[in-house]
Amino acid sequence: MNLTRRDLLKSAALAPALAGAATVVKYPKGKADACILLWLGGGAAHIDTFDPKRKGDGKKVAGSYYNAINTAVKDVQVCEHLKHTAPLLDRCALVRTLSHDIVSEHGAASNLVHTGRMPSGTIQYPSIGSIISKELGSKDKAVPSYVVMGYPNITRDPGFLGAKYGYIYLTQTETGPNGFVRPGDVDNGRQDRRETLLAQLRKGFEQRNPDDQMIRAQSSISEQGFKMAGPKFMNVFELGKESKTLRESYGGEFGQRCLLARRLVQSGVRFVEVSFNLNFLNGSGWDTHNDGQVKQHLLIQDLDQAFATLLTDLEKTKLLDTTLVVIATEFGRPPEFDSGGGRGHHSKVFSGVLAGGGLRTARAIGVSDELGVKPVDRSVSIPDFHATIHCALGIDPSKNLYAGDRPVPITDKGVPVTELFG
Amino acid sequence: MVVVVLRSNFILISAVSVMCVAAAPANVSLNGPVKVEIFEQLKPAGLLSPPADAKPIEIYQEPAFAFVRIPTKFSGNALPMDRSVPFTLKATYERVITAGEYRFRLRARGAARLEIDGQVVAESKPQPPNVTGDDPVPPQPVREDSPLRPASYPHQDILYRVTLPAGVHKFVLTAVIGGRGLYPTPGELAVSFAPIGKLDRLLGPASAPYLTDEEWTRYVATINKRHEEADVVRRRLASTEVAAEWRTRHDRVRTELLKIAAPTAPALKSALPVHNDIDRYLGARLEAEKQLPTESTNDLEFFRRLSLDATGIIPTPVEIRSYLADPPKTRRTKAIERLLASSGWADHWVSYWQDVLAENPGILKPDLNNTGPFRWWIHQSFADGIPFDRFVAELLSMEGSAYQGGPAGFAQATLNDAPMAAKAEIVAQAFLGQRMGCARCHDAPFHPFKQKDLFSLAAMMQGKEIKLPKTSTVPMIEGGRKPAVTVALKPGEAIGPAWPFATLADHAETGALPNKAAVPSRNEVAALIISPDNKRFPQVIVNRIWKRYMGLGIVEPADDWSRGKASHPELLDYLAREFALSGYDIKHVARLIFTSHAYQRKPIADPSISTGEQARLFAGPIRRNMTAEQLVDSLHLGAGRPFECEDMNLNPSGDRSPSQFLNMGKPERAWQMTALSNERDRPALALPIAQSIVDVMSVYGWRQSRQNAATSRDDAPSPMQTLILANGILGTRMIRLTDDSELTELALSDVPLEKMVNEMFLRVLSRPASKEEVRVLSSLLGDLYPARKVKGAAKADSSTKSDSRVSWSNHLSAEATVIRMEEERALRMGAKPTARLEAKFRERLEDALWAMFNSPEFVMVP
Repeated sequence: MNLTRRDLLKSAALAPALAGAATVVKYPKGKADACILLWLGGGAAHIDTFDPKRKGDGKKVAGSYYNAINTAVKDVQVCEHLKHTAPLLDRCALVRTLSHDIVSEHGAASNLVHTGRMPSGTIQYPSIGSIISKELGSKDKAVPSYVVMGYPNITRDPGFLGAKYGYIYLTQTETGPNGFVRPGDVDNGRQDRRETLLAQLRKGFEQRNPDDQMIRAQSSISEQGFKMAGPKFMNVFELGKESKTLRESYGGEFGQRCLLARRLVQSGVRFVEVSFNLNFLNGSGWDTHNDGQVKQHLLIQDLDQAFATLLTDLEKTKLLDTTLVVIATEFGRPPEFDSGGGRGHHSKVFSGVLAGGGLRTARAIGVSDELGVKPVDRSVSIPDFHATIHCALGIDPSKNLYAGDRPVPITDKGVPVTELFG
Repeated sequence: MVVVVLRSNFILISAVSVMCVAAAPANVSLNGPVKVEIFEQLKPAGLLSPPADAKPIEIYQEPAFAFVRIPTKFSGNALPMDRSVPFTLKATYERVITAGEYRFRLRARGAARLEIDGQVVAESKPQPPNVTGDDPVPPQPVREDSPLRPASYPHQDILYRVTLPAGVHKFVLTAVIGGRGLYPTPGELAVSFAPIGKLDRLLGPASAPYLTDEEWTRYVATINKRHEEADVVRRRLASTEVAAEWRTRHDRVRTELLKIAAPTAPALKSALPVHNDIDRYLGARLEAEKQLPTESTNDLEFFRRLSLDATGIIPTPVEIRSYLADPPKTRRTKAIERLLASSGWADHWVSYWQDVLAENPGILKPDLNNTGPFRWWIHQSFADGIPFDRFVAELLSMEGSAYQGGPAGFAQATLNDAPMAAKAEIVAQAFLGQRMGCARCHDAPFHPFKQKDLFSLAAMMQGKEIKLPKTSTVPMIEGGRKPAVTVALKPGEAIGPAWPFATLADHAETGALPNKAAVPSRNEVAALIISPDNKRFPQVIVNRIWKRYMGLGIVEPADDWSRGKASHPELLDYLAREFALSGYDIKHVARLIFTSHAYQRKPIADPSISTGEQARLFAGPIRRNMTAEQLVDSLHLGAGRPFECEDMNLNPSGDRSPSQFLNMGKPERAWQMTALSNERDRPALALPIAQSIVDVMSVYGWRQSRQNAATSRDDAPSPMQTLILANGILGTRMIRLTDDSELTELALSDVPLEKMVNEMFLRVLSRPASKEEVRVLSSLLGDLYPARKVKGAAKADSSTKSDSRVSWSNHLSAEATVIRMEEERALRMGAKPTARLEAKFRERLEDALWAMFNSPEFVMVP
């Protein structure tokens, strides 16, 4: 299908504002069946990562903080600390003209980028992870469909879709998902003893209430829980099962999270969000005000190593074509430096990355101006970015979800970046 | 700041006329308690030295020079108020001191001054408001070579050495509290002193506590309790007049109602059990439908259910024993009275109204639809037995404190461009069963409401016309298809105040309302809702109470009456009449329901009929699981453990204003938890212990963020509920036998094994163990029981620590990140188990406890 962006815009305008009517637009349908979102919370500086500009001096002269290097894609450069990613850039599409209006508040901007919508006073919108979880479910019933490595918060929540489409989470790879991992002092022997005792208590309770089917229903749901936490899924978290070389090539904790993400996708999980919140590296994480800037390269290098290894690893395991890897952040940062040598927030233009997922990669979408302040040729809205991700996963971005009676399209009139399809 | 209009019945309590923490003396008595005065609205120059003619707004006493809490300010109708900031605390004291050289210590977060015998001897600096998160984490407080409690960040210790002659000396402390960009709390404001080389005691009588961690903690706990109790006395006293006016109004309503003949309950044809009229109304339908009620619960099942419903928590073994000691004939009735009078009554109702009124405070900068923490006002209203019509009127006045818990907090909806539209929606749904959500953006397609109805009610609550915001509409696209809904209003269009529900109540005697809100049209909304002519209001409320205790409403959905139909219209009328006759007393309706045989029956046990029409014959209550709050509170009670949690506060250093960072204090019951607001996803902003509690509550249907109103929760049983309890950090902490667990003490007590087993069952499942269970546990524990104690082993501190140095001001430092990550790791490892029990025995007992807490019997309401 060859649909130009203008065609799409035109037909989207004709799309019904509310439910009930048949969809007139035909959206591209990608072949990805899983998605890994690498979240750079804090607002990663686009001009210091995927959209390098002429160099500044870290003080008065605005501009990038690092040198730029060439990549596998002609005429597309990235920052020098992305040296492992640069040769793999043909597996990526850089979206360099993401844009929105929330610049002051991290929470609100994170919410926008996760849900694809400005908040409304009437309903709470679901995160993209929950939407994909609802639309596609997990590939294997024995595993959950949506996993977060990071802190649970409202931006990741299922909103009006309900708890069913929530996530399980872990904050560190070593701890495993919360609620799934037995406490350290409970070995198999103790667990067996526990379950035996529990069965005896349950039996007594059921015998005292012989006609109460609700008790049986409750017990069987519990059984499902214990099964979910069984060895099949829990083995996924055993990173030690991977070769030492591979683990090392992924790098530190963020890399290990990426490795775990690959294992989760392999096991049937649809959507994995991996947070890069290793703020102990530079204090501020990607929110590089003041002296957070000085050690920003440590974050970029960590990201580079993990991301590049993830791409090659997915390729080797034949998952790259069906796994969309997204790098996103709540906003970018301006070319100027603040009084402490760091950077403020900037949302009029910033970068995201779409990799693998069967997309027509090896290109940069959109061009920002000479210092990365404004889009030059086209701007990609957050709904457009979401629509692209949904289309890559074969989901119709205009399909209605329901908040009670109220129809709510998956994206807010998002138009996918069509040149990435077909 | 909320500006409060002073009216005759809305006077700030003048301190002098009201009993404070203790009776306020005219002068300072020698070696007696410390006299404290609070001054507001002093000129900047006088903040540290109130002029002689300045009138204190409060006068009260403290036992010694530690000022961790200021009395709450109450309005004439007992609403908590915000003090104008900065305000000044002045403490005056005289005592006899033996001659010698002393060292005085002034400890303060902000500006304070200590005078001895009229001479200024120590001064601390004002606290600078915080502007960045980039500060370094301050070093660990230095512990001197003594048990002295060090000054916690960012407190200053100002030391002063002096040789005092024997005799009476006068001490005056003045301290400035709050102000621009600061939190209006005193922190650990204190003065202590000691002869050189000795350990500090707080300044005060000779018996004042030493300044050690232990004595300080104990002292602060007593002070907090005293203040809480004093606040209760003060607010009740403050609102005596208002309360009397409401009583007069209720008398009038009662007189009018009694003029109408009471409805008679139907006589039953068969011998169905009848405790009160509720059973007659239900029985008649059951007979007509040829259905039989379920059988009675046994006494212990009933008591556990009642305890959960009346107080939100399972009963203690002591309560169970005293219940069973009552004669069988009267024990249920007596238990109902006892539990209705319990303080848990208020706790359990807070969580309900938090949902229904969308109470949604945030502890980290305003997010969408954040409100003030008006939970504290809800709690005091239920603790004080405020009649429910008064509750509605006070809520709608939206006065009192915005950030310290008053109804002004309800008025807030941060980042929402039409806050009053959001509030109108909540109010209509909560009190009138009118669900108007759709009308925010268009005329409701499935409800009889126009968009204009919602906005005209919103305008009444605003007190003036509202312009329709652009976002509150359905975008129309040029040449686009006609939307399926009607959009009658245009963005920017002004909608004036008007009452949209003339069919429910068409007039109200606004003037007769004891409540006098500053915005007259708010009063009018309240008057129309609670008007005795408005039959819908009492019906909606009794239906809510019914649903809460019986599992389903007489009308469903309970918050959407234009779609619902009453299953028992006469019963609904009867309960509504009783509610009005009682002076809108929720307790009265609860008592009627608890007393009915219907409530005291076994739950409907067939999932196929537990929903839908047949369930609403109420052959028995609908099977329910504990709510998130009931579960978490009952876990703690069953495990005999204190409610451990960090302060709900991301800015312990107090250098930000409450509009940015709320300090919600240390939770003691589950309803006091708040959203953890870590949208930034930063380890340094995590509260690991709180997270472990929130993890459980979220899975059991509690909403971290209550952006809109909800009557029912999304809490259907799920596998994740099982897992989080079985393996989660909270569940693990509950069953671990540590030295601060009452279960550990029980296991160490010298009782026969069978008795210990029974006591454990009583604690956790509110019943003795069955024969079979005794057998199973005896064979598990019996061989190890005689030698379970480790001789000579000592108690160890197993409490969970939170480093109070980490605050917003330094959360962007790598060290803050590492500190919190370490705490998270330690928490996951779990508390240190007791060394006083042999490990093998302890593990087996923990496994048995695990099975009890994870059994369906624990979480299912009997």
